[in-house]
Amino acid sequence: MKHSGIQRFTFVERVVHWVVGLSFLFLLLTGLAFSHPRLYWLTTFAGGGPTARWLHPWVGVAFSISFVAMFLIWLRDMRVDADDRAWLRAIRHYAVHDKAKVPPAGKYNAGQKMFFWTMTLLGVAYLVSGLPIWMPAGILGIGPFYGGVVNVMRLVHYLATIGGGLFLIVHVYLGTVAYPGTIGAMLHGRVTRAWAKMHHARWEG
Amino acid sequence: MSAQLPANGLRIRRASASATPAPGIREGPEYAKLVDISRCIGCKGCEVACKEWNELGIEPTANFGSYQSHQDLGPNTWLLMRFTESEVDGQLNWLIKKDACLHCEEPGCLLACPAPGAIVQYENGIVDFNQANCIGCQLCVSGCPFDIPRFSTETRKVYKCNMCIDRVEAGLEPACAKTCPTNAIAWGTKEDMVRLAEQKVEGLRARGLANAMLYDPPGVGGTHMMYVVPHGDQLEQYDLPADPTAGAGALALLGTVRKLGASALGLGILAAGLHYLGFGPQAPEEDGK
Repeated sequence: MKHSGIQRFTFVERVVHWVVGLSFLFLLLTGLAFSHPRLYWLTTFAGGGPTARWLHPWVGVAFSISFVAMFLIWLRDMRVDADDRAWLRAIRHYAVHDKAKVPPAGKYNAGQKMFFWTMTLLGVAYLVSGLPIWMPAGILGIGPFYGGVVNVMRLVHYLATIGGGLFLIVHVYLGTVAYPGTIGAMLHGRVTRAWAKMHHARWEG
Repeated sequence: MSAQLPANGLRIRRASASATPAPGIREGPEYAKLVDISRCIGCKGCEVACKEWNELGIEPTANFGSYQSHQDLGPNTWLLMRFTESEVDGQLNWLIKKDACLHCEEPGCLLACPAPGAIVQYENGIVDFNQANCIGCQLCVSGCPFDIPRFSTETRKVYKCNMCIDRVEAGLEPACAKTCPTNAIAWGTKEDMVRLAEQKVEGLRARGLANAMLYDPPGVGGTHMMYVVPHGDQLEQYDLPADPTAGAGALALLGTVRKLGASALGLGILAAGLHYLGFGPQAPEEDGK
């Protein structure tokens, strides 16, 4: 079937997004497994405890690299301007689908931009706190980190994970069931004109 | 949880990363090792006995200007006699410390471990690593207030003194205690060892060592390897933390927030579901297929 409508994401954007997304999901589930005994069974999906522990930081490397690529690709579109500030002031209307009271958005609405910037900060937190936990004996002559550094970084890593996990739930919910027609943008890359008019009136392809 | 339990017949009081309490309800005696540093002659017979009994391979050593055999503990060096030269009032003091797991009543390693059953505490108080369940994350090393566990890059597991658990199970004392020629290492119930230590401390004080003390730090709930320290005012030079604590600071906070964290994610999913039920999907009006 040939898709009509307008192109929203290129092939490269979609691939990069899914590498980031799927690696994040893997990291979230294995991380939760290590964080609480009742969730340890999640390591089964990663081949058991030792394998999950071995894979987690390497998938983290894949996440970090793909995140940098995604950051560079989308950075230009993610500047927050006056229209975005107006949108943010109306976010409570957006949340209850009262779209008449929400200023029209460009290619990305201010909520998506905040998601982008929050995940960027969390991504830095994951990397900075994750490295000492991964290699407590030291990295490139820095360290060792055994003791207090590792324990504090575990706390930072965990809090950032809960933050990122909550954002992921909102992201997936809005991108799938809440707004029908959105997921196609990340699968085949296209959206309908009606969809674009409704969600991103100032964009229009 | 399908964590593999140790093959020995000892009853487990507590296991790492375990959401439910251990099943044990019987109360047996708690054991302890008492190291009287004032009686140690530095022969290192205990190091050899430890390597022999536990079949730990030889670690080649080099002279680094100390009477000490190895520079540090290792994955197959579970016991190291540390020699420190210290000067007090113009007098040389030769401080010897039997560096090995202290088998804390509140084990920081066990509290930090994320792998179910990788670290267990038996009802007799001994803390044991069960490498079959170890995932090699080394968080126990950071959880230990005494810097004892050592990671093997070869097996990607962590190791430490297990108090010769196979001997203790058979009613024998640990190999180091068995071999010590001066009886500097005593073995018995914790109660008996504390009583013995008090006598020893009293004796040392009578001999003029006013700062002699029993090292059984309350911050970790006491230990199952205790020291009689002749120079209690020089704990730092012995490399013995004055007030070690288990699972404090960031680890304690982590323990609290992780109880809420997974619930927060569950509530997030619930909130998304309720939002959908309340407000429904928002589809473009003329979204023709």
